Amino acid sequence: MATRDSLIQVTDLKKHYKGGAIKALDGVTVDINKGDVMAVIGPSGSGKSTFLRSLNLMEEPTGGAIIFNGVDLTKKKYQDESGKMVKLDIDSLRQKMGMVFQHFNLFPHMTILENMVLAPMKVKGMNREDAEKKALDLLERVGLKDRADAYPIQLSGGQKQRVAIVRALAMEPEVMLFDEPTSALDPEMVGEVLDVMKELAKEGMTMVVVTHEMGFAREVGNRVLFMADGKLMEQGTPEEIFEHPQNSRLKEFLAKVL
Amino acid sequence: MDQFVKWSNFSKIVPYAELFKEGILVTVMLSLFTVMIGFCLALVLALMRMSNVRPFRALGIDKNGHQRESGALAVISRFNPLEFLATAYVEILRSTPVIVQVFIIYFGVFGVIDLPSFKLLGFIKFDRFFPGVVALGMNSGAYLCEIIRAGIQSIDGGQTEASRSLGLTQVQTLRYVVLPQALKNILPAIANEFVVIIKESAITYTIGVQDIMSAVNAVKGATFVIVEPLLVATAVYFCLCFPTSKLIAYFERRMSHGDKR
Repeated sequence: MATRDSLIQVTDLKKHYKGGAIKALDGVTVDINKGDVMAVIGPSGSGKSTFLRSLNLMEEPTGGAIIFNGVDLTKKKYQDESGKMVKLDIDSLRQKMGMVFQHFNLFPHMTILENMVLAPMKVKGMNREDAEKKALDLLERVGLKDRADAYPIQLSGGQKQRVAIVRALAMEPEVMLFDEPTSALDPEMVGEVLDVMKELAKEGMTMVVVTHEMGFAREVGNRVLFMADGKLMEQGTPEEIFEHPQNSRLKEFLAKVL
Repeated sequence: MDQFVKWSNFSKIVPYAELFKEGILVTVMLSLFTVMIGFCLALVLALMRMSNVRPFRALGIDKNGHQRESGALAVISRFNPLEFLATAYVEILRSTPVIVQVFIIYFGVFGVIDLPSFKLLGFIKFDRFFPGVVALGMNSGAYLCEIIRAGIQSIDGGQTEASRSLGLTQVQTLRYVVLPQALKNILPAIANEFVVIIKESAITYTIGVQDIMSAVNAVKGATFVIVEPLLVATAVYFCLCFPTSKLIAYFERRMSHGDKR
């Protein structure tokens, strides 16, 4: 059922703890297509973050499949084109999936520029000159070129998150995963981060965004997933989800947050 | 009743001042080498304890290629021999007296291995000094291992996640992201261990290392005064340790500035 420009196919994804007593993810099936801006919403503890973190194996799923670039990430070994069994190289797949965290996770012992060039240099083998040029271009896009030599501690939360976004972009990922990117920010800084994300969406970047910002989900997302109890309860366009919700849990949730 | 301390006895120590001077140098060098050996050993041990080497890993994967959640096979698949060895080493070294360890190394290990008997700097007997350093280093390695492990584990898991999400391998993450931050955090604890070693190194006089305690013993043997040279030794150890720990506290305060995340 994979469509032509499907990027990640998730099938019956499960994450169980304690032999199935706790089901953080309980059979989630979804197709993520190129250019999708997919907002994942739901009450806390619904498994949205676990779902997102499973996509690049920050959490190891206990069942189901995640097909990315033709490879099932949940298996330790897979068959390549010639039919040979090869070991899953999670590091090289992860660099194609950028991730932005709730708490930014910039490296505090490095300047902003060093934060930006570390992965391109060590993983992609770029030379320092090229990596720095690229980093400065990216920083300029988010208006932080003049802070390149600052340390993360000297930046505001919103600035840190903008750096975290472009740090991930420096690896030229095929998809960007956002794990509640604005939840740890002061309210007046949420806008600047969302603006960067909107810009990114406009450029056609595939994005999966776990968020509590219903405004963003509605305005920027082209698809919205609603999760509860580790299950995908409903999915659809923002209009379908926010104007014509079907699932009773979704109606209940929207009544609380809107 | 005799006096506890006789001032006249101190003058009897003066001719042996050179022994004390050499003793101080031996103690300081012993401590420095011990901490260096201990640190390298501890780093290896800490990495072993946190490694993810699982020779029976394959047993934990079921026929569909998924990770088993529970059962005996899952337990065996998680067994890590490196971690087991390092943990055993640390627990044994921490649960036995240093003097026993020093004797085992000196009489046991270096009773079998012959060391060249030359003198470092003209007065340090290498065949005594070296076993002392090895024994103390092995002991302090066990303690430093726990310090390093705590330092690494004190680094927020988000740092590792961010690094791995950028495509860095586990080793690269450790080298560029985790260790630099961890070492900065544990520098005071390592320096503290240095102070502990200065004091603990006194035990090596029992295998004939000519440190400060050995100078005390020499004076005792020659002049039959014991309390006064011990008081001199007390003063010397205090003058070595107290400023060192004050210096550490000073750097600790300075480093904590602007470190709040």
